[in-house]
Amino acid sequence: MSDVVWGFVHRDVVDLLADRPVDVPAVVDHLTKLQDLLDRRSPSKDGCPLAVFNRLYLTITERVLEGLYEGSFADVVFLSRLDVEFAARYFDALRLWTDSSSRCPKAWSCLFQRMEGPDVRPLPSAAAGINAHINYDLPFALVTTFDSLESELVDGSDQHADYLKINDIFAAEIPSLRRGYLDHWQLVIDLLNGNIDDWYQGELVEYVRDVAWRNAKKIWRCRNDRAAHEQERLRLENHAELLGRLLLSPLGAYLQ
Amino acid sequence: MISDVDGAPLVGRGEMLAAARSTLAGTGPGQPTAVFLTGESGVGKSRLLREIGFELREAGALLLTGACLDIGDASPLHPLRQALRRLDAELTTRPTHASAALRGLLEMFADQAGSLDGAGALLEQVSHGLHLIAGGQRLVLVLDDLQWADRSTRQLLLYLLAGLGDLHLSVLAAVRAESLQGAHPLRRMLTELRRLRTVRVLDLAPLNRADTEQLAAAVAGAALSTTAAEQLWRRSGGNPFVVEELARDLRDGRDGLSDTVREIFLARVEVLPPDAHAVVHAVAVGVEPVEHWLLAKVVRLPDDELIDAVREAVAHRLLVGADEGYRLRHRLVAEVLEEEMLPVERAALHQRYAQALTGAHAELHQARLAYHWRLAGEPVRALPAAMAAAEEAERLHGYVEAHRHWSTAVQLAEVPSVGATADRVMLLERTAEAAHHCGEHARALTLLAEVADADAAQPTCGLSIRRARYLAAAGRSALAEVEYQRALAAADCTPRERATITAHLAELLLHLGRYADAGARAREALELADAVAGSTSEVVLASAALGFSEAFREDPEAGLAVVRRALDTAERSGRPEDVACAYLHLAELLTGPLNTLEEGVVVARRGAERVAELGLGRTYETRLLAIAINGLFRVGQWAEAEKVAAAALRHRPSGADAVEVLLARCRLSVGYGDIEAADRDLDAVATLCAGGGARHVIPLLTLRAGLAMWQGRHDLARKAVQRGLTESRSDDLVILAALIWHGLRAEAEAHASRSIPVDETAVRRLRAAADRVARRAGTAARPVRSVVEAFLALCAGEVSRIDGSDPELWARSVTEWDRRNHPYPATYSRLRQAEALLARRSRSAKAGKLLRQAYQAALGLGAVPLTAEIRTVAGRARVSLAERDATADRPTSSAPVGGGELAALTAREREVLAAVAEGLTNKEIGQRLFISERTIGVHVSHIFDKLQVRTRVQASAILLRNQPPDVR
Repeated sequence: MSDVVWGFVHRDVVDLLADRPVDVPAVVDHLTKLQDLLDRRSPSKDGCPLAVFNRLYLTITERVLEGLYEGSFADVVFLSRLDVEFAARYFDALRLWTDSSSRCPKAWSCLFQRMEGPDVRPLPSAAAGINAHINYDLPFALVTTFDSLESELVDGSDQHADYLKINDIFAAEIPSLRRGYLDHWQLVIDLLNGNIDDWYQGELVEYVRDVAWRNAKKIWRCRNDRAAHEQERLRLENHAELLGRLLLSPLGAYLQ
Repeated sequence: MISDVDGAPLVGRGEMLAAARSTLAGTGPGQPTAVFLTGESGVGKSRLLREIGFELREAGALLLTGACLDIGDASPLHPLRQALRRLDAELTTRPTHASAALRGLLEMFADQAGSLDGAGALLEQVSHGLHLIAGGQRLVLVLDDLQWADRSTRQLLLYLLAGLGDLHLSVLAAVRAESLQGAHPLRRMLTELRRLRTVRVLDLAPLNRADTEQLAAAVAGAALSTTAAEQLWRRSGGNPFVVEELARDLRDGRDGLSDTVREIFLARVEVLPPDAHAVVHAVAVGVEPVEHWLLAKVVRLPDDELIDAVREAVAHRLLVGADEGYRLRHRLVAEVLEEEMLPVERAALHQRYAQALTGAHAELHQARLAYHWRLAGEPVRALPAAMAAAEEAERLHGYVEAHRHWSTAVQLAEVPSVGATADRVMLLERTAEAAHHCGEHARALTLLAEVADADAAQPTCGLSIRRARYLAAAGRSALAEVEYQRALAAADCTPRERATITAHLAELLLHLGRYADAGARAREALELADAVAGSTSEVVLASAALGFSEAFREDPEAGLAVVRRALDTAERSGRPEDVACAYLHLAELLTGPLNTLEEGVVVARRGAERVAELGLGRTYETRLLAIAINGLFRVGQWAEAEKVAAAALRHRPSGADAVEVLLARCRLSVGYGDIEAADRDLDAVATLCAGGGARHVIPLLTLRAGLAMWQGRHDLARKAVQRGLTESRSDDLVILAALIWHGLRAEAEAHASRSIPVDETAVRRLRAAADRVARRAGTAARPVRSVVEAFLALCAGEVSRIDGSDPELWARSVTEWDRRNHPYPATYSRLRQAEALLARRSRSAKAGKLLRQAYQAALGLGAVPLTAEIRTVAGRARVSLAERDATADRPTSSAPVGGGELAALTAREREVLAAVAEGLTNKEIGQRLFISERTIGVHVSHIFDKLQVRTRVQASAILLRNQPPDVR
């Protein structure tokens, strides 16, 4: 019923998504293959907002992998699990979109919908992807990771430090995507990491990067309470969707 | 009793059924399989469960059917207990041996569980019970709504799926896809299980258009008009449940305007007569299944009228009845109804449930009482029920559930009207302890802070000790150390507490790698413990810390003496656990840092026996045996190691203990080249690790790589190592060094066999990793450094295989491993040294000698793939592997010599026996066979055991009797 979602590479995308990577090298491999497919699908560079995001995410994950091999993280077990869990959510969203499922997170579907958009702007597209991934996926990935490692979120711990290092990688990679827009990008990062509420409260300027970490702590506390957990999930989903739509609206054009 | 009938045919699920069938067909005794169905509500998961379950039952399987509840972690293992009760009810009609076993298991849940030592013992008891119930029959565990499963149930599933229960078992479970969004623990578990060959996760999608129409036509009794079909497709989105209901409305000429499930069912509820209306609302508020007697009390209707009302609700397809009670036709219905009710209506119904349950005992009694009283707005009455439910859960080691109930109790106690009656400090303490037990360390610490705030009179030393304990458990060692110091400084610290704290502090410092500090603290603790009667546990703990710190600081004998003394003390005056711990520490010390393997093995085995006598078989005996297996593997006594592994697994260990034994057995299987057995154990370990815990991942991946190499799958080996490298903690140098060696070996072997191109990047990374390990080993304790260096010697050898073989590097590796008395890697290194010599076309005599030596050793071990490789290399180089001595050469032929009485002997044992028959002493035999005199002694005692003789002469006689005439 949905053979057209990915156009002529549909079959390949479905096959790719059928396999679920369980380690970071496999995640990089997956993202690389996906990039090939997306590039084949719309050959003009920056023509597909998803391809733009995927390229950025691939670069970042490659950097993380390199860091893992080089031993530059304090808790490798934690970080590799987090990376795999984090990526799994992106692949989940793609899979649900492929199935035309109503369960596809709204923060993602607002980006996927624009795949054929007439006025694609690469920067806001990538930003919308990062928004969905950081503001919606990341807190849950953190909770699942800590849960499976039988550990928990502690500020100032090794894991927290490693987690912040990933943010540095994001920050370092984003400007290189388009030189000359660094100030705008800094603003976007801050915007993405801020809660809408926080934003209104003016916390934006405070350069807070670990909102996802704090959200994860909120979810952690209610992870065994289904109703509260679902409420928190919906709150994050709505927030991320709102921000995503904002980025993809004509307003996002000012970033170009 | 009115029951539910699946009126509609099963449409569009042929592929799913076939996939499930083929996975389940692989089930065998000790080889469980599982199918997990995921999909959104109404997509037909439960229907498929029933369908497949029915087929299996028809084929002679025994079905256990349970469902998880959505009222929170109500009670540990609830779905299993429900399933057992259901089966019990079925079996009353035909009492069998199974009934007795079943009752036994149910009774175990009811009263005896409290005496079990830990959650692992419970799992083992359950699996034993299931074994008895099955009585050799195939068992199928069907679990619906698994997304609501408590942690205990998830752990049980993994335990059973790992094949540890030795059951002929299949698991069939349904999971709501919606709940896998967010951070649900099943998410991660299913990702891991998905990769196993014995597990299938099937994602049920909505029906496609054609199937939707087919289903609708079948329900309606005729094909739909084009417009009706179009409308139905659009409205249902292919969800079979909605399709069915809409088609039924269509058939019955009901108004077709409803677009959602909500509207469909609300329309139905509206037309119900008042009594039936009351019935569905009551069930919607209750905990399903709602028993008939309970429903009667809640709706307050005379029996006749109640039955009529129920019939009406069933006729309107809202309610379903079964022997054990009523439930709403679908969870979707319950959700619709719950939203429709006014809060006061709900509270009033909860009140009635609570009152009715107060007078009569029902399933999940306390948990349900607490639930209903709380939602009825009666915290005073909910509190004792919540506490009772928490205690019940603790009895079954369900600490997650207990923690939830205790937390509820704390919340309830915060209501002003309750405040006066509740002992808040006690509640906080119990909640903290439960939180600590289920790994919620941060929460436990917060609760402890609240205890301190709530009651200034709390003993400060006691609180500090608990805080330190929680911090240490959370891995925050530095903070735990500070907290222990604070406890020591507390004014109310008793001598007893002082001894305890100091001993724990010593252990903590050892983990932090501060060996000198640890030793000093341990000495202090021993002095303190001397002055306090009955502090054997402290003596054992402190002695172990001292023993290891001395060993790491290069005075092993002194450390060993301390631990031996601790064992004596424990035997004289300690609890059974103290004795067990002392044995454990001694065996670990000997086989670990001291590398006196033979003695370590003896101690471990003696300890295992002793501990079993003391009644601590399950945990400590398993752990000691795991040490023995690993020791035996390293000294090359594989047959013996195998026997010990079998014995250890007979205890059905669980959790980390099970993983240790399985990994040890798998190491043997990889050495033997028994691919199937190794694969099975690796899958079992992966299953157990899917529940959490990352400690064992690297050994698991190393073994996977080793196995893949014997299969010529260097690509898979590379992948396993790559995963390991990106997930290994940098502090475990030995494990990391072994992994790096496997990685380099995979590349070297790929290079040699030209199976895949060498991955230069991988080699570069591996070499960088090896360099890092070498650097860090420089500052590590001497015993650790020694093992790491031996592995790094292997690494250096492998690197040289890629860029021009250097026999000298392999000679170094041979020396390293010989010195450590580990024949397997030594033999492997000899093979490579010979290969390198041959490649240089020089000193072929030396190469021949090395190959022969390696060949004999590999044969003695039973290392089939290694032997084969030696044979290949020798064949290529035209080196004869035959020894001058005919008797020693004999056993190398694949046909067993003489069969009969000698059949039980390994190749190595036959060699030894032949030498014995020549009249050689153990020392002489050792020299001839290049193994230690002590090892020969062990071989001889095995030969005596197997041939059931007591003297060398008797053994020689049997050999001569069984030898072919030409040798004689």
